[in-house]
Amino acid sequence: MSNHQILNPADHGTLRVHTGAGAQFGDAVMACLTVPLEFRAVQAHYPIVFRRDAASGQFSALAMFGFDNGENLFLEGDRWDARYRPLAMAIQPFLIGRPAAGSDTPQVHIDMAHPRIDHGGEGTRLFDEDARPTPYLETMAGRLGDLDHGYRQYPAFFAALERHDLLEPFTLDVPLDNGARHSLVGYHVIAEDRLAALDGGALGELQLEGQLLPIFMAVASLGRFADLVARKNARVALG
Amino acid sequence: MTGSIQRVVIVGGGTAGWLAAGLLAARRPDLSVTLIEAPDIPTIGVGEGTWPTMRETLASIGIAEEEFLRECDASFKQGSRFDGWVDGTAADSYLHPFTAPPPGDMRDLLAAWRASCPDAPFAAAMTPQAAACARDLAPRQRAMPPYAGALNYGYHLDAGKFAALLARHATKRLGVTRIAAEVTGVIPADNGDIAALELGGQPALTGDLFLDCSGQAAILIGGHCDGGWIDRSDVSFNDRALAVQVPTARDAPIAAQTVGTAHAAGWLWDIALPTRRGIGCVYAARFMDEEAARAVLLDYVRTHVPGADADQLQPRQLIFRTGHRERFWDRNCLAIGLSAGFIEPLEASAIVLIELSLNALIENFPASRAAMTIHASRFNELFRYRWDRIVEFLKLHYALSRRSEPYWLAQRAPDTIPARLAEQLELWRDQPPSSWDFPRVDEIFSAASQQYVLYGMGWPAPPAAAPSPAAAARLVEVRERARALAAALPANRTYFTAAAAAAAPHERLVRT
Repeated sequence: MSNHQILNPADHGTLRVHTGAGAQFGDAVMACLTVPLEFRAVQAHYPIVFRRDAASGQFSALAMFGFDNGENLFLEGDRWDARYRPLAMAIQPFLIGRPAAGSDTPQVHIDMAHPRIDHGGEGTRLFDEDARPTPYLETMAGRLGDLDHGYRQYPAFFAALERHDLLEPFTLDVPLDNGARHSLVGYHVIAEDRLAALDGGALGELQLEGQLLPIFMAVASLGRFADLVARKNARVALG
Repeated sequence: MTGSIQRVVIVGGGTAGWLAAGLLAARRPDLSVTLIEAPDIPTIGVGEGTWPTMRETLASIGIAEEEFLRECDASFKQGSRFDGWVDGTAADSYLHPFTAPPPGDMRDLLAAWRASCPDAPFAAAMTPQAAACARDLAPRQRAMPPYAGALNYGYHLDAGKFAALLARHATKRLGVTRIAAEVTGVIPADNGDIAALELGGQPALTGDLFLDCSGQAAILIGGHCDGGWIDRSDVSFNDRALAVQVPTARDAPIAAQTVGTAHAAGWLWDIALPTRRGIGCVYAARFMDEEAARAVLLDYVRTHVPGADADQLQPRQLIFRTGHRERFWDRNCLAIGLSAGFIEPLEASAIVLIELSLNALIENFPASRAAMTIHASRFNELFRYRWDRIVEFLKLHYALSRRSEPYWLAQRAPDTIPARLAEQLELWRDQPPSSWDFPRVDEIFSAASQQYVLYGMGWPAPPAAAPSPAAAARLVEVRERARALAAALPANRTYFTAAAAAAAPHERLVRT
């Protein structure tokens, strides 16, 4: 159950949030949403794949951490073994709320049922004694703004991919050292041969829209699957 | 690493004796270490504040920080706060924190302070630690590695429990031999050294090096060996203390620093542990009698410790003489702890002097009797230097006061100010304290400490040009870091409550 509230110093003046990594903080997930403006940072650590929502037909982008539900191969106890955590993970337990009436600036919401919410006096405060946001909250608000901006770019990004027919279904069959097999089914990736065949006009158009860089970053990110498999093998070997 | 000096005999089982036993056994496992402890000698219980050096000391002895905190009822100490020392008004308070000012030229930083935030106290402008202290915050989060913090810190501790933990660790894990006996005599060697100690009815104990950790009794260094004595009461007037321990509520905030509050003829210490506060009234008998000191103490307890029943308290009186040995190391006997010297605990110098003495001994451990004479002479020179610096630094706290009671006027009389301190003050009109003033390795009070007291007490900053942009940027960084740490660090009380809850299942496991 979640419990979303509009963040404000009157209600959350002394609230603290756990900022570390750990399964107990909700970090044990196999993937999270990612947005094109962070693909460059994400592809340095994680594979990026696309998924179409069966109900809405809308595509979204995912950064992959594991092969099974609840499996995060980057999480080692209280350590997240990568220098960049995708925005959708890094902003928890905050959410982007609808703008207040008469404004177009989204509000910061907080999920009071999130496991990062502290109940024992440890963790990081959101407001100081003068009700001023702490540096931590300022950083979080900045990330929420980035993520919101990233979501707003989704329609144009996926429209461009569909216009040029650049998505293709993807199935990954993962043989492990111990003989077991894992497969990832139901995802899409960039169709590299169709991307390579685009003419100069199409490439120029994608470049002008700012879509070319994230497309190539998504292509490059597939190289990270080798790392993900190695992490999986290391876990299996450790038993 | 082996030489002819093999058998170390330690006399006395207080903080000094057991720290000596633990450090020697851990760092020189080739030595044989024996500690003689007379039964039923109570610890003096004043040395309850450490310096940050204690973290390194405990780590090298091999005691886990969590165990130390739990077993010694310890809390974090991030410095000392001095209330009422300048003029005694309500707003009169300054902090001497353990974290140094930002790197850079202090003259430039002072100019930036005066230009950018003249209303902020010096310590608040120079280190984020001031913000943490003001909010009773811990210097670390529990998830951080042991003995590491976001801010520099030492400890407040229960000295009796500390000696007991060190004793258990040294005897059970480090192979130190403990003998419960009283030293009844010294058997001399032909060259005048101590050959062995007579132990009542038990067999005499021979040794190559004897450490006198017997406290004010000083049974070796002030007995068979003659370390001499240099009286420092001409500079440091205080010679009495009345001490009490006041239990505190389980949810009471735990102060992040020792608080020293000036009174008409001395000062009060206030050291907060998780379960109690140790409070003491230090005074000079020639300016205040015991009854008046008792009234000062109980009045402080009434006004500063919520819920305390001051009338039920039975203050314990301590009488001390201020001074130190002329020779700390004489023949094959080295005095460490109160047997070496004593001065009021204004800047918690007692335990750190024990650590510094032991580091000097262990890192220069004599391989032969001939080498011992050379090491002893160097040790004596170094610790005479250190005692001089301590006496001067404590006097600095009085020399800058503007209080007008007879005691305070007498403390500022020019003939009681050591010549070197008077010279320093003359130079500090033109330039801030620097390592030119304190050039030795492991200076006991660094230039940073001198700066915190000097500018904390309102000493004018030396003339300077306009501050550089770099210095101004350093101070902005301090402010930002203070905001970030104030948000991220837990309150001391929260830290210890959470640590106790986390340890509880383990405790049950051990005790069943």
